[in-house]
Amino acid sequence: MIELESVKKSFRDVTAVEGISFTVHPGEVLGLLGENGAGKTTTMRMMATILTPTEGDIRIDGFSVRTHPMEVRKRIGLLFGGDVELYGRLTARENIAYFGRLYGIEEETLQNRIDELSGMLEMGDYLNRRVGAFSRGMKQKVAIARALVHNPDVILFDEPTTGLDISSASVFRRLILDLRTQGKTILFSSHNMGEVEKLCTRLVIIHRGGMIFEGTIPALREQYGTNDLDEIFIQAVGGGKRN
Amino acid sequence: MNVHHVWLIFHKEFIDLIRDRKTWIGAFVIPIIVIPFVVSLLGSSMDAIRKEANEYIPLIIIGNTQHELVQQIRKTRGVTLLESPDPLQSLRDGGVRAVIEIPRDLQKTLLQGNSANIRIWYDPSNQKSEIAKTIIQEAFTEYEKTIVQQRLRHVGLSYSTIKPISTQFESVASDEKISGSLLSGMFTIVLILSLASGGIACATDLIAGERERGTLETLISAPVSANSILTAKLMAVMLMSGISALASITSVSIIFSLTTLEGQSAPFTLSFLTVPSVITLLLMIILLSAMFAGVELAISTLAKSFKESQTYLTPIVFVAMVPSYMLMPLNPVDIPLLYYVLPIFNGVAVFKEIFFGELQLAHALMAIGSSMIYVLIAITLAAKFFSREDLLVK
Ligand SMILES: Nc1ncnc2c1ncn2[C@@H]1O[C@H](COP(=O)(O)OP(=O)(O)OP(=O)(O)O)[C@@H](O)[C@H]1O
Ligand SMILES: [Mg+2]
Repeated sequence: MIELESVKKSFRDVTAVEGISFTVHPGEVLGLLGENGAGKTTTMRMMATILTPTEGDIRIDGFSVRTHPMEVRKRIGLLFGGDVELYGRLTARENIAYFGRLYGIEEETLQNRIDELSGMLEMGDYLNRRVGAFSRGMKQKVAIARALVHNPDVILFDEPTTGLDISSASVFRRLILDLRTQGKTILFSSHNMGEVEKLCTRLVIIHRGGMIFEGTIPALREQYGTNDLDEIFIQAVGGGKRN
Repeated sequence: MNVHHVWLIFHKEFIDLIRDRKTWIGAFVIPIIVIPFVVSLLGSSMDAIRKEANEYIPLIIIGNTQHELVQQIRKTRGVTLLESPDPLQSLRDGGVRAVIEIPRDLQKTLLQGNSANIRIWYDPSNQKSEIAKTIIQEAFTEYEKTIVQQRLRHVGLSYSTIKPISTQFESVASDEKISGSLLSGMFTIVLILSLASGGIACATDLIAGERERGTLETLISAPVSANSILTAKLMAVMLMSGISALASITSVSIIFSLTTLEGQSAPFTLSFLTVPSVITLLLMIILLSAMFAGVELAISTLAKSFKESQTYLTPIVFVAMVPSYMLMPLNPVDIPLLYYVLPIFNGVAVFKEIFFGELQLAHALMAIGSSMIYVLIAITLAAKFFSREDLLVK
């Protein structure tokens, strides 16, 4: 479970996000939406204890990021999209195993887990090749496997399908739905409304560091009186701008 | 800090570094191949100049070219007598090394028992002309001696009447000291420079590089303390700089034992390697590499990008060169005590003593003790920067 309580983050004189409060329950997929620079990544970094909130608190499975950062870290799986963060001179297996070991997984369990993830993500025979030469989509799969290697309860995916082709994106979506049925708590950000509609049970829209919507997709449609989510998003952030 | 985590991270960094060509080219290939190559090239080109200057000495003699002194000069090893319509211009052009003017009345002056004046032009800006000057002086002194002997015989005296004392210098320095005096400076510079430069590529890659590629963010979101991460990275940088140091002194030792440099009067020996000196040498290498690693990681953390980190770290090599060159001409007995506690200087001073075969325990302890303090400061600084979230996130 993820709980945010009036979270604020300032960098020197800039306030990146403020007054963010929402909860994500196990078995839920929450979509975090917002324009570029809205504050999605900053919010996720605070959940992952990479940044400390300036005000407010975040609890992951009941552990506060302020007082129990190590407990929080053990429970989250983290993936930042965009530039894929992997060690280019290590093989896919080595990249995944490195993190698995840091999370304290036993060697035998670890190798089985890597094989399992590789099957799930259809990574095929490139598991033992160095990731430096991989295509973006291949790298993204390795990064996803790395984020899930320790079987985390809470999953934070920041724009995870950026750079994936249609079939890889579909493999990824199946994985998310799978994780949801397993009762994982999932938060992911995206700029792709079609994907959001397919995967998310609820949405949070952030605009210029503030929350402007929280609720289900039907509730969102009702509020804006149209079915077109792209249109709704533009209206929502446009509306935010006028305020 | 968790030892298991430190080991996991260090092990991964090590594999990653081994696979990175540019890091180990910097740490191994340059010291092992380039340094000996440069040293021997320098040595052999200096040798070649010296050889040519001694084996081909073109001179012009004007005036009384028939005098027996001219025969004396002609007989000197390497001398070739040339002619030129404008002798001084030939000298300026470098075609000849010196121009000697023998007075027409030289024989008459000598027979009268008077002193003759011989003018010699040379070019002090040309090293070869300087060498020719010395050779000509020797030839003249020799000729002068025969004249003096003739004159003394004439009045019934022996040469020892005017040369009552003869001198003979004997060396008291052992072979290791002679070899040390010349090579200690060379060894020290190579060692300090490789300690400073060996870890730079690695330090840049391990923090600024990881941050730029985004992997640092993932790493700090794992259940591992910042201190464990930093300790592992520090060990990796120390390893690179230590290996680079050992590689470079090994290669310099090999090259010195194979070739003889100009001015090296005794064969190279490794006899300066006594047990205390080896212990001190290794301890100082470890401490200096830890200090450089700490400073380099602190800078790599503080830099905004990979490029910026490289730019800030390059001058470290020059900073390390200053103490090396300042203490280079000094004999270890002339190094002021203060230098044994100043950062980098302490390493240079102690390394000189070790390679000189004259390590003093008090000096070694001063250098080791003060280095520990500098290591502590450098690592504290690195840890302080590494705990700042604004420096770890892109
Ligand atoms: N380390 C930082 N220092 C200063 N300002 C920052 C820092 N990180 C983020 N910001 C600022 O905070 C705001 C929110 O940025 P954030 O990266 O969270 O947006 P985002 O919603 O993830 O955008 P995108 O869709 O482009 O990824 C931006 O104005 C950004 O400039
Ligand atoms: Mg973002």
